[in-house]
Amino acid sequence: MKRYKYLLSKVLWASLSIIFVMILNFFLFRVLPGDPARAGVKDPRLTAEAQNAIRIRFGLDKPVINCFESINPLKLGSCLVNPLDTQFFIYVRNLLQGDLGTSYHTNRPVKDMIGEGLVNTIILIGFGQMISIFLGMALGLIAAWKVNTAIDFATLGFCLVAWSLPTFWLGIVLLFTGSTWLGLPVVGKFTPGGGLATGLPMFLDVGKHLILPTLTFSLIMLGEYMLIMRSTSLEIFSEDYILTAKAKGLKTFNILKDHVLRNAMLPMVTIIALNLGFTVAGAIQIESVFSWPGLGLSIFEAVGRRDYPMLQGSFLMIAITVIFANLLAELMYSYLDPRVQAI
Amino acid sequence: MSKTKWFTICLIILTLLLSACGQKAAETQEASGVPEEPSTPSIVKIGYAGSPDTLNPGTAILSEAYVMFELTYSALFGQNLDGTYSLDLLDSFEVSADGKTYTFKLKPGVKFSDGTPLTARDVVYSFNLYKEHTEFPYMNTYTANFDTIEAVDDTTVVLTLTEPVPSIQYLTTFLYILPEHIWSQYTGEKVGEFPNSEMVGSGPFILMDYAQGEYIHFKKNPDFYGGVPKVDEVVFQTFNNQDALVQAIKTGQVDMITEMPLTAVASLKNAKDVAVAVGAPLAPDISDIIFNQADPENCPEGGVCTGHPSLRDPKVREALAFATNKQEMIDIVLLGLGAAGRTLIPDSLLPWYNDSIEDHPYDLDKANQLLDEAGYMDSDGDGVREMPDGSKPLILRLNYPSDSTVAPRLSELLAKNWEQAGVKLEISALDPDALTSICCPTFDYDVLIWGWGSDPDPSFLLSVMTSESIPSGMSESGYNNPAYDELYQKQLVEVNPTIRKNLVWEMQKIVFNDTVYIVPFYAKAVQAFRTDRFKGWIINQPKQALEDVTSLVVVEPVK
Repeated sequence: MKRYKYLLSKVLWASLSIIFVMILNFFLFRVLPGDPARAGVKDPRLTAEAQNAIRIRFGLDKPVINCFESINPLKLGSCLVNPLDTQFFIYVRNLLQGDLGTSYHTNRPVKDMIGEGLVNTIILIGFGQMISIFLGMALGLIAAWKVNTAIDFATLGFCLVAWSLPTFWLGIVLLFTGSTWLGLPVVGKFTPGGGLATGLPMFLDVGKHLILPTLTFSLIMLGEYMLIMRSTSLEIFSEDYILTAKAKGLKTFNILKDHVLRNAMLPMVTIIALNLGFTVAGAIQIESVFSWPGLGLSIFEAVGRRDYPMLQGSFLMIAITVIFANLLAELMYSYLDPRVQAI
Repeated sequence: MSKTKWFTICLIILTLLLSACGQKAAETQEASGVPEEPSTPSIVKIGYAGSPDTLNPGTAILSEAYVMFELTYSALFGQNLDGTYSLDLLDSFEVSADGKTYTFKLKPGVKFSDGTPLTARDVVYSFNLYKEHTEFPYMNTYTANFDTIEAVDDTTVVLTLTEPVPSIQYLTTFLYILPEHIWSQYTGEKVGEFPNSEMVGSGPFILMDYAQGEYIHFKKNPDFYGGVPKVDEVVFQTFNNQDALVQAIKTGQVDMITEMPLTAVASLKNAKDVAVAVGAPLAPDISDIIFNQADPENCPEGGVCTGHPSLRDPKVREALAFATNKQEMIDIVLLGLGAAGRTLIPDSLLPWYNDSIEDHPYDLDKANQLLDEAGYMDSDGDGVREMPDGSKPLILRLNYPSDSTVAPRLSELLAKNWEQAGVKLEISALDPDALTSICCPTFDYDVLIWGWGSDPDPSFLLSVMTSESIPSGMSESGYNNPAYDELYQKQLVEVNPTIRKNLVWEMQKIVFNDTVYIVPFYAKAVQAFRTDRFKGWIINQPKQALEDVTSLVVVEPVK
């Protein structure tokens, strides 16, 4: 019963957060100075009439919401408008129908654009996270086991250096070395124009394109996981039950696997869940260095162009991911540590 | 036992990884080592620093989209790299004595890529489509003077205008001929939303595959009426990172790159099998240093007109022009890859560029002398001059857009230059949108560094300096000169090219003498191509654009 209540309250809070983000997103971008009909275009050919026509096409001629002007929600306007004919209401109505709108920049449905970007980002982040999590945990565990030895210092040093490198810099260094020495591709997710191979050759081609961005991502993320794993494991090694396990004559591997790893998982789950949420948008630097067509890159472009529908859609998506990742982490706690659900 | 198991697993993974790597290395070697068999298609791979916003010619804004339209669509006229026009879809054309009626004869037997014949009706449909849709950002500016468009027979179109125009070639060169049988399915708002992902056209190339922001892939049109391209396919691959572009051409992953960081030019010039091409860009971006000349007495609606009063004095602006070291700016900002600027009309815009204008030399003594004569003295000895009545020091706010790559260094050089003439700059970068909101028609600034994109015809760039453009926000300077406005209107309808050229030259002289702007430089286009892959890239023309259709229809594989 308690567990059910715990779950329900968590889900309720998550839904409230999402509704809050939905409303905030709408006003946040409109408060920024600028006009989507002119953003990104500095061309004398764009006449005032054309700009007006573009505004009408985007629906930006309507008031933001009652009592406020169009474009800028900080300027007061008429209150005597049909509330159903305001930008905010249209936004909410479309959203409830699952319609995220049409991008001002590409004239394509935002849903499609986010979908494409998200798949590419998940491929990149997914591989990168997997490698860095497994490697980070393994290295952390080994370093803690061999604490204060050369192995410990070497792993710790390496991970600290990798963690503190600027992402774009490491990306560019890997891009130069990888393409020069190994002939690895430096752009995109596959080679267009190669007859668009399917099956295994296509798979290998994508894999080849993945190597450098994934390596960059894993190296950057590795340190965080390794350090947390190492410090948690060190704490656990000093626990009495480890001494007991040793006294029972258990194999080192079994002690590490069953007693240390399992107990060290709690802080790891927190950090993994948090990172999963944030890295959906957080790979912008890697995506721009390697021209990886992911979500981060589309968001970056949308900000410059004041592409409200794209921004609203992707920020909502990111918020939902972060909230869900957190929810998932909390649910995982109660599975990993039965004490949590008593809260 | 378990320890050995652990090691075995690691060993297996390691072996797998190594073998995978080895396999890949072997593959790449094979690809570069074995000569291409005649059966494999020749593919030009272009490293492209942008990507089209949409494939719909009606709603497209970015020049990248127009590059794609030039490849896939026909227009009545085509633009050459020397500023002239040639017949594209036309066999011939005639103009009536009053200059208002044009009779176009189309080439016979032209087909769209889906096999449907292209007839005069498609031309009529396309022109009317552009004309009717006021929400198309650009197209209806070209059709503004079109009165009626009629198809007399399958290959004859008659266009009547409301008034004579100087260049029908220019007005129709971007009006791409769309297939009526496809586009007529969409009406009203739906036309703008049509993604046009098939791009059925009649140009030299046919769209094969497109992924937004990633790549765009064409094959040659074997039935093209104007000479079939010599390569089989063309791929534009979008790069979001200019260093990666340079690396890609060095390692042979692409055959041509359209842009590069100027710092990479030296190293690319020494790279094996790579040639660097430098020329005037096809569609140049002109950087300008803008003075706020808007008069507070006559401030446009919604404006505040807080510009420094000294900048409304032409003597001060002229003095500042003398105090601007353009050569140093070219050497430092562009690493020498540019020419000194005069007015907004760039040197590649032939024949409209007025090359007879004598530029202000960099002369600090002259600048100081002019300011002294005009009464702007440094009365309190702090190194900064004051207004003639001693009221306000010549401390100017300088703003530039934060996304500009040239402006940060440009503004520092400017501050250093002008300080020696007793004028101090307070520099701050602003988000482009914030800049728009202080710029125009607000006129809440002193000096801006910004720029304009250009067009093959000078009218649009010249219109920026007319008083008519002040209320709409197109004029960033607030410059108001009735004589200039009159010349502008005259050239707009002048049919005789020589007379029009003289008018345009005269206008440049006026704005140069009034120092409406200081144009520091005209930057060059810097591109590079592999010499071991394709030959025939068009360079050494007045304008350069290797990604333009002019080059892509003539390049051929190196045997």
